[in-house]
Parts: sequence; structure tokens; C-alpha cells
Amino acid sequence: MKKRIISSVMAATMVASLAACGSSSSQSTTAAATEAAKAETTAAAAAETTAAATEAAAGGDEAVTLKWALWDKDATVYYQPLIDAYTKEHPNVSIEMVDLGSTDYSTVLGTQLSGSGSDFDVVTIKDVPGYMTLVNKGVLEPLDDRIAADGIDLSQYKGITDQVKISDKLYELPFRSDFWVLYYNKDVFDKAGVDYPTNDMTWEQYDELARKITDTTAGSEVYGAHYHTWRSTVMLDGILDGKATAVDGNYDFAKPYYDMVIKQQDDGVCMDYATLKTQGLHYSDAFAQGNIGMMNMGTWFLSTLIAKIKSGEYTDCTNWGIVKYPHAEGVEPGSTLATITCLALPTSAPHKDAAWDFIKFVTGEEGATVMAGTGNIPAMSNDKIVSSIASMDGFPADDTTSKDALVTTHTYLEMPANDKSAEIETVLNEQHDLIMTESEDVDTGIKNMNEGVQAILQK
Amino acid sequence: MTAEMNAAKRKRQQALVAYSFIAPNFIGFAIFTLGPIILAMIMAFMEWDGNNPWKFVGFGNFQNIFTDDRFLAALKNTAVYAVFTVPLTLIMALALAILLNQKIKGRNFFRTITFFPYVASLVAVAAVWNMLFTPAKGGIVNQILINVFHMKAMKWAAAPATVMLTIIMFSIWKNMGYYMVIYLAGLQGINQELYEAASLDGANGWKKFLYVTWPQLKPTTFFVVIMLTINCFKVYDIVYMLAGGSNGVVNKSAIVLVYYIYEEAFRNWKLGTASAASMVLFVIVLVITLIQFRGEKNYAND
Repeated sequence: MKKRIISSVMAATMVASLAACGSSSSQSTTAAATEAAKAETTAAAAAETTAAATEAAAGGDEAVTLKWALWDKDATVYYQPLIDAYTKEHPNVSIEMVDLGSTDYSTVLGTQLSGSGSDFDVVTIKDVPGYMTLVNKGVLEPLDDRIAADGIDLSQYKGITDQVKISDKLYELPFRSDFWVLYYNKDVFDKAGVDYPTNDMTWEQYDELARKITDTTAGSEVYGAHYHTWRSTVMLDGILDGKATAVDGNYDFAKPYYDMVIKQQDDGVCMDYATLKTQGLHYSDAFAQGNIGMMNMGTWFLSTLIAKIKSGEYTDCTNWGIVKYPHAEGVEPGSTLATITCLALPTSAPHKDAAWDFIKFVTGEEGATVMAGTGNIPAMSNDKIVSSIASMDGFPADDTTSKDALVTTHTYLEMPANDKSAEIETVLNEQHDLIMTESEDVDTGIKNMNEGVQAILQK
Repeated sequence: MTAEMNAAKRKRQQALVAYSFIAPNFIGFAIFTLGPIILAMIMAFMEWDGNNPWKFVGFGNFQNIFTDDRFLAALKNTAVYAVFTVPLTLIMALALAILLNQKIKGRNFFRTITFFPYVASLVAVAAVWNMLFTPAKGGIVNQILINVFHMKAMKWAAAPATVMLTIIMFSIWKNMGYYMVIYLAGLQGINQELYEAASLDGANGWKKFLYVTWPQLKPTTFFVVIMLTINCFKVYDIVYMLAGGSNGVVNKSAIVLVYYIYEEAFRNWKLGTASAASMVLFVIVLVITLIQFRGEKNYAND
């Protein structure tokens, strides 16, 4: 009997330590979080009133240090110039960058803001699902009153802010907006003796062009097209007519694009998805190999490409250009996908007014000019800013094709705001994976997407 | 009277000293393990997103997970993984241990080689493994399949049909070295006289293994089986590395329990559901471990 008790206790301890491995990180954080969050809110509220009071009294000249949550501090070229430009005008403000890493940025930020130690004044929002999570958790401050009070014209963001309103409230302002273009390697086209792509191509013409420059000779393959493993590279080509979005629950629009890409994959026009996935080949490395004719990718790749060619790291793709995204029959050229990077104000921010002033600066025209100067596309765009990007050293100096490619007519968010976007994304990504590895056919995959997402929407 | 009081006092003091020795460990255990476990048990019946107030939902979380495809898939995959990994790793480790316990040339070299995957960084060896088992037709393993065995190229970790196979093979290869070392220790603890006696009785190699080595190794095997089983249910990193894909999302074909818990808690911020899933994991391992301890008692009483 005694032995039995001992063994039960031993078993329980073992299991307990096991369960702790599985979940202790979550539980201990959350345990601390509840307590700390309570303390935090009261403390923050108190700090806020005093901060606001002193600021008002001192006319905003009080020395303030703002903590800004962001990712890839050292690899991103625009954080420091933005800060420098702002602190030049406001010498009393200093800004401290806190790098939370890019891989799990949204997750880490979510934990930080709901737990202790979240004294961020400004937070960068990486993507829409991350934004939705934070809004649902109630840790972001609605900005509408401040926007109205300062008379900010939201039309300068070309309607993109309307796509991230939640119950008519806006919790973030974009400062960077990347959209998708088609990158191409001129050398590949020259070698094949084929004309370059243009700013007005239908998907059929694009497919034809990709096949023309493809060479399937083993050992010296040339791929006409390249699709990174992201779902956006294939599925979302179908939303550019503006009739559907990725959260509607009906994905029939994606069929022609999956059909096209699967056929290209089978014919060796593009690299095999399964290989790309398991080897984790980065799209920039793929393009840099110099045997890829065309690649659809966001404008965030521009500054990387320019910088790496300049530093001599990329030698096989130095002769490149961009054109507008291909379009479906009857859709205006220049319709493309977009992702936005935004700034938001956490409810727990110790210096809300100072933080708002910084957000206003970065997301407004002054910030946009700084962004364009570093080769990145600001959310707020006009002719001046497009010219400034195109005149950057290293930007393709062809006729005006590449410059014109930077002018968009309609932009659609890759993932519009929806409070179930994280779950929807899981379903869509899984089906994308199954279709692309050819584990199921396109029709089955789309049927599963429809059923899976509708089930989530009805919940 | 005073003597009695003194005795009681001394006893209390002794107890106090004893407690003070346990305290450092126990306080740590209470704060970082016991507390969270109790909290998780409570949270399994709550709905919580990490920030808003808790909401009591009764068995709602359990209902949710048992109707969730991903959870059921995770349950199945974890079971499949454990069922194949535990016996196969055990057999491989034991075979290697017996082999490398013999006086062969370069014994230490081979021991090191076998142990190497266990000490090597998971990220690095997973990358190498993915290169060997690349789904492309030109991959090394696929080339062997095509040219030597005249089979079709396989997609390994990229296809739902073969992803678990790839993960299990990787896991066996990575961990067998560790259990081999444990078995080596066990083998060296066996009294050589037993083998001599067996030889005198005319036992051949197989009979010696069956009647001397295996029974003598029983305590080691017991330990290995328990550790292996528990580790199998805890598996997470291997799956994430081999089947995670570019966006780090593991598909239904490869999702395991711990990954599901992580995903629910920190991607979807459903801490209640995640805790409920942890409780299920807890119960499963509790039952398995109790059965194994019962088994141990039986042989110990032999």
C-alpha cells in the first residue's frame, strides 16, 4: 500500500512537471499578468494625469522620454532618421527604441501590453491580425477624437484607414504602406530575346511571358516566375477586382490563379513549393540567384535589393526593373495588394500627449518625406514622394516604366480587419499549403477554404 | 515535565531546520510550478484573452476543443508519434548500446558519432535533415529512392502523408544516442559472472541476451520507457522545425498537443481553451504513467 502511494505521488510529480513544461510559461505569465495589469492600470492612470498636467503647465517643454516598440531595429533604415527628424524639432523629447524581434513581434507585443512592464508610449503594429488581437484585448486607445481635434485629413491615406476601422473606430495610423509589384531580371529576358514585361499586362499575358523565358534544362534552369511560399503570392491575386476580400468566406475567386501556378509548377516554370517550404529559401536569395525572370513581391524588397546590389552581395540580378502587378481582364492596371505598418497608442502609455504628437509627425507629411528619403514607401503618398523614391540612387533607371509602376490606382489590404482574422488565416494557410504541395486538388482546397472559414464566421 | 517540553521543543527545532532545507527548492516549486498548475486548472473553466476580465464558462472549453478539428488532429498525431517513437527509439538505443559495449575497434569514435545528434543544436540538424530529405527530385534521399530502390520521389515533410514519418525518423535519430548512453551504463552494471555462468550452461548469444541481459536491464528499460513517453507527449520543437513552414504554422497533418496549446494561448489568445487542452494532456500522461508504475511494481515483486 505504502509503495503504491509513493508511486502515485511520483507519477503525479512527473506529470505535473510535464504539464508545467507545456503550459507553465503561459500560466506563470498570466498569473503575474492579472495582478500586474491591475496595478499597472492604476499606476498608469495616475502617472498619466501627472504627466499630462506637467506637460500642459510647461507648455510641452518638459523633458520626455518616449518608449517605442518596434522590430529589427538595426536592419531597418528609417527608424533613426524619423527619430532624428522629430527630435530636431522637439529637443525636449528623446525616443528610446525597444526591439521586440520580428519573428514573433505581434505575439510578444500582445504579451507585453497585457502584462507587467508595458510602459510603451508608441507601438508599431506589424499586421492586421496583430492589430485585431490588440484591439480585442482593449489595450489600444481609439484615435478618432485626437484625429478630429487635430484636423487630420484621412483621405491622404487613400482609403486604407477605412479598411482598418473597427466598429467605426480607428486605433492606428499608417506610416508605411507597401504594395505589391512585379520584379523582373532584365538579363534573363535579354538572354531569351524576349521583350520586358509592361505596366499593363493581363494574367494570361504574364503566364505566356513566364513560359517564354523558362528553360528546364537540368543544371541550368531558368524559372520564368517565382512565388514565395506565402499565401498572398497566389491566392490574393484574385481579390484585385475589388469584388471579394480574404475574409468573406467564399474563395472561388482564387481558382484561376491556383490553376495557373500549379500548372507552372508542374511544367517547371517556377520552383516547386514543397522544396521552397522545407528549405526555407528566402525570396531575396531566390531572386539573387539570377535565374528567375519575374517575381511578385512587395515594395519592401526595393530597399533591400538596392542596398545588397550596392554592397556587392548580389551580383546576378543587378539589371532589374519593376512593373505594375498583372491584372485580370477588365480591371484597371495599378490595382494591387497592400500591407500597412502603423503606429498606435497603448492605453497604458505614460506620456499619451507627447506620444500622439510623435505619431502625428511620423504618419504625416514630414514623416512621409523622411520615409521616402530612405527608399521606403510611406502610407501617405503624392507625386512628390513617388519622384523622391524613383530618384533614389540604385533605382532602375530605365525609361519611366519602373517609376510608373510605383503609382497605384486601387490598393487592397492583404487581410482586412476582422476579429476572426487569426483563425481565418490558419484555415487559409493550411489549405494553401495542401494545394501547393499538390496533396489535394485546387477544387477540394477551395471547397475546404469556403467551408472552414464559413464555420468560423458563423461561430 | 520539563524534559517532555524540552523534547517537544527540540523536535520542533529539528523540524524547522528540516523545513529550512526544503524551503529554497519548495518555494521555487510553489511559485513557478505549483501555482501555475493550480491556476491552469482554474483557467480551464474560464474564458480569458489575457487582458479582459475572466469569465466562467463551465465545461465550455472542453466542449470547444473536442469539437475542434485541430485539437483532434493534434491528439491523433501525438498518439501516433508516441506509439512509433517509443518502441523504435528503445530498440535502436538498446541495439547500439549492445553493439558499442563490445570490444570493437574505434568504439569511442562510434559512441561519439551516435551521441552527436543529441548534443547538436536542433535548429542546425533540422536544417541539414531538411536538406537531405528535400522534396525535390534532386534531393539526396530521393535520388537514392529513385536510383537504388526504383521508387518514386517522396515529398517528406512537405506532404501530409509522409510528414509524421519524417518527424518520427528524425526524432529517433536525434534521441537514440542519449538512451544508448543510459543503456550502456546499464549494461556495464551487469555482473560478468552471470554471463560466465550462462556460458557454462551452454547458452548462446541470443539466449544470454534473453535470460541475462534483458532481465538485468529491466530497471533501465523502465526508466527509458517513462522518459521517452513523457518526452513524446511533450514534443513540440521538432515538429515546429521540420513542418513549421515559412510562416511558422503547423498544419493539421503534423500538429501536436503542445503546439496546439501554444497556438491557442499565444496566437489566438484563448487562454481558457489552451488550459483545457493542457488538462487533457495532463490526464493522458497521468494515466500512462500510472499504468507504467503498476507494471514496475509487478516486476519488482518478482
